[in-house]
Parts: sequence; C-alpha cells; structure tokens
Amino acid sequence: MSGDEMNPAAVAQAVEDIQGDDRWMSQHTRFVQECKDAEPEVLFIGDSMVQLMQQYEIWRELFSPLHALNFGIGGDTTCNVLWRLQNGELDNIGPKVTVVWVGTNNHEHSAEQVAGGILAIAQLLTSRLPKTKVVVLGLLARGEWPNPLREKNVAVNSFLRSWLPRLGHTQFLDVGAGFVHSDETISTRDMFDFLHLTAAGYRAIAKPLIDLLLQILEGTPEEKRASLV
Amino acid sequence: MFGCPATSRTSHQHHIEKTDKVMSSGDSNPAATPTPCVDIQGDGRWMSLHNHFVSNSKDKEPDVLFVGDSLVQLLHQFEVWRELFSPLHALNFGVGGDETQHVLWRLSNGELAHISPKVVVLWVGTHNHSHTAEQICGGIMAIVQLIKDKLPKAYTLVLGVLPRGKMPNPLRERNAQVNKLVKDAVSSLPHASLLNVDPGFVHSDGSISHQDLYDFLHLTPQGYQAVCQPLHAHLKGLLEKQAEN
Repeated sequence: MSGDEMNPAAVAQAVEDIQGDDRWMSQHTRFVQECKDAEPEVLFIGDSMVQLMQQYEIWRELFSPLHALNFGIGGDTTCNVLWRLQNGELDNIGPKVTVVWVGTNNHEHSAEQVAGGILAIAQLLTSRLPKTKVVVLGLLARGEWPNPLREKNVAVNSFLRSWLPRLGHTQFLDVGAGFVHSDETISTRDMFDFLHLTAAGYRAIAKPLIDLLLQILEGTPEEKRASLV
Repeated sequence: MFGCPATSRTSHQHHIEKTDKVMSSGDSNPAATPTPCVDIQGDGRWMSLHNHFVSNSKDKEPDVLFVGDSLVQLLHQFEVWRELFSPLHALNFGVGGDETQHVLWRLSNGELAHISPKVVVLWVGTHNHSHTAEQICGGIMAIVQLIKDKLPKAYTLVLGVLPRGKMPNPLRERNAQVNKLVKDAVSSLPHASLLNVDPGFVHSDGSISHQDLYDFLHLTPQGYQAVCQPLHAHLKGLLEKQAEN
C-alpha cells in the first residue's frame, strides 16, 4: 500500500496518441473546459464503464438531476485517471461526491497493484477536494464464463474492501451482485459484450448507487446535527 | 476499450495475428485475410460473441443482417434499433474493435451458415490501424465477395466509414479515401453499393462535436438518429426492391 513509486498502477500517465486522431487528449481537454463552466455536485471519473453510462437514458433520468459530470474515457487505466486528475480535471470544482470506477483495463498490473492505483486516486481526491466524499465502485465480473480476469477483479475488490475504510471520507460500493448466474455465465442482456453494460445492466447498478448518492447528498441526521453546532 | 486487443491503444506491443496459418500463397493483404482475434486479455470475449452469433442465428430468419465493428454493436444498445431496425427483422453481429479481417473470419466461420437475409449492412474499416486505405478497401471488398459466395441472393449495403477525431487528422483522410475506393469498386456490381451515412458531422471549422460522437469516434444516440433515419429509408427501399425480384 505504501511506496507508490514502486506501484506502476499508481504512476500518473497520459495516453499516447498511437492511432493518429488524438481523441484521448481531446476528451481530456473538453473535461478541463467543463470544470471552468460547471458546478457539479457529483463527479464521475473512470473508464468506459463510466463513459458509456452517459449515453443511456438512465443518465438523464437519475444522474443529471443531481448535477453530475461524467469524466469517463474508454480504455483508461488507473494511471490515466491519475494523470487527468492531476492535470486540470479537478480545477475549480467542488463536488460533494466523487464516484470512481476504474481498474478493469489495467492488464499489465496485478490485482494488488490495481487496488493500489485506485487507492492512490481516492487519496488524491480527498486531498485535492477536502469536502468531497469518495465512492469507489467495485470492479464487475467479465467474460461469458469463469476466467482469470474475473478472479483478478474479485481480488481487487477484496483489497479495496479492507484498505478503503482506513481512508477518511471514502467508501467502497459493490454493484456487481446478480450479474454472474448460477451456471457461472454472464448474459448479454446485462453486458452486451461480456464487459460493457446494457441499459438493463446500468439500471441494475444504478439502484444501489443512487441510494448511496442521495444518502450522502442529503446528509445523515448525525451530520445535520453536527453542522448546526 | 472495445474489442480485439490488437487494435487497443496499449497493445501495439501485443499485435499478434495468426496470419501464417491462414494466408494462402499470393495473399498479400492482411486486411483481406480471414483472421480471428487472439484472446490476449484472458476472458475469451471475442470468441464468446462469435459463438453466440452462430448459435443465435440457428432459429432466426432475419431479413437484414448488420455486421461490423463497435459502430454496429453499439447501435444495438440504443432505442433507435428497436424503433427502426427490429421492425425490419434485423440481426446485429457487431463486435467492438473488429477490423475487416476479423469480420471476414467470422463470416467465414459460421455466422452466415444458418440465415438468408435479403440485405447485409456492412460497416467496418475504421479500426484497421496498421493498414492503408487500399488494403482496407481490399478487406471490405473481400467481405462483399464472401457474402456473394455464401448468400447469392443477398444485397450488400456497405456504409461509408465516418470521420473521426475532434479536428482534422490523418485518419479522417484515410477513411475518406477508403470510402472513395470502395465506392469505385462496387460501382460495377449489381449486388452491392456504398451508402454515405455521414449527415455532416464535420462543422465548418473542421471540428466534430461530442454531442454526435461522444469520444470523437463512437456515436451518441443523437448521432445514431442522424445516421439511421436515412439508412432506414434506404433499407426499406432495398427490401421492397428485393421483394419484387
């Protein structure tokens, strides 16, 4: 957990434009500009699991009303998210909640390294945005049948469950319940390519997530009492 | 993000393709050589999807088959599919990240075995990052030929590859060149044509909006509406003509 210099998943790194159309940087630049114009209460940051959510109806229905911004970029690893957060995507905003969902694309890293990368992101957020509460979403299962990546993502979640509570203002939320059926398969009804969620898949994860967000945004009775003192 | 690791941005080190086994003598175009996607990541998703398409097709009788890459695959997830294409009895065999040689392999290995659609809508080519426009055209034409061989009565509608990237860049030029070459190549064929489905995504300042292409490559639901309304009209026309023959 310590010695982030030794953890490659906790090293900030921009995406190199190999393909030739510079799309990653264009997306990052747009997010930095959004920070200048918007006053989000909720910030979503992560990979395609975050990005795709904004394309479905559910975003407009449930998350836009919370004044949410979506800074997801497909393919991103923990390294890429760290770079973006350190290079403008947190400037001038003060969201009450930041939702982090990243790690499934960290193919070069071990489960422990990936969890360390996610932890580094949570640490960065709580230090840069002292008023924010961080919600880290667990990595979902993937692949039609049991496979090493499912085991890896379970291991990442396991590390996060034990490490995140030690950070203040941060919690872990597992939204993966129900995706793996009793025959151990994942259905294309939930993940159209056994990785990315369908509209139905997003509906399933939105329930526990929106409940938690509302709870945090509305504040617990204890917090309300404390704020009056 | 989507599909075949050989096209993902981190995997230029992992560019592995089984060309040795499938290349016949004289084959010099990798974009036109049937090639499966190798499972580098470890969850076998590409093959799972292919197997699903093969077995799904056993009890379906689609009039229209959409086949291609993520632009086809994502179309299936939005309302526009249910609105416009389900009523046409359409099936969707899109796989994110697929290049021409991957689609060629899939169609050669069972995805056309149990169906006889009247029209095949083919949309692929934008992910062929290591190939020239000429090679990509060759790959698309190889697919057109394969469809003709396997489904002699079907019409193939090739959709033009869309512009990409926020500002002008070499990939826009490459894609435009692919479209031009394909248009020329199909002009003499009675069973195929190229349809340009770009409604004008590039603005006068050369930029593309994230409202149309959310990551400057993949379509938003709004982008799909702009592409699919004219496509739907064109398809209906084709299906009516096929019914008359």
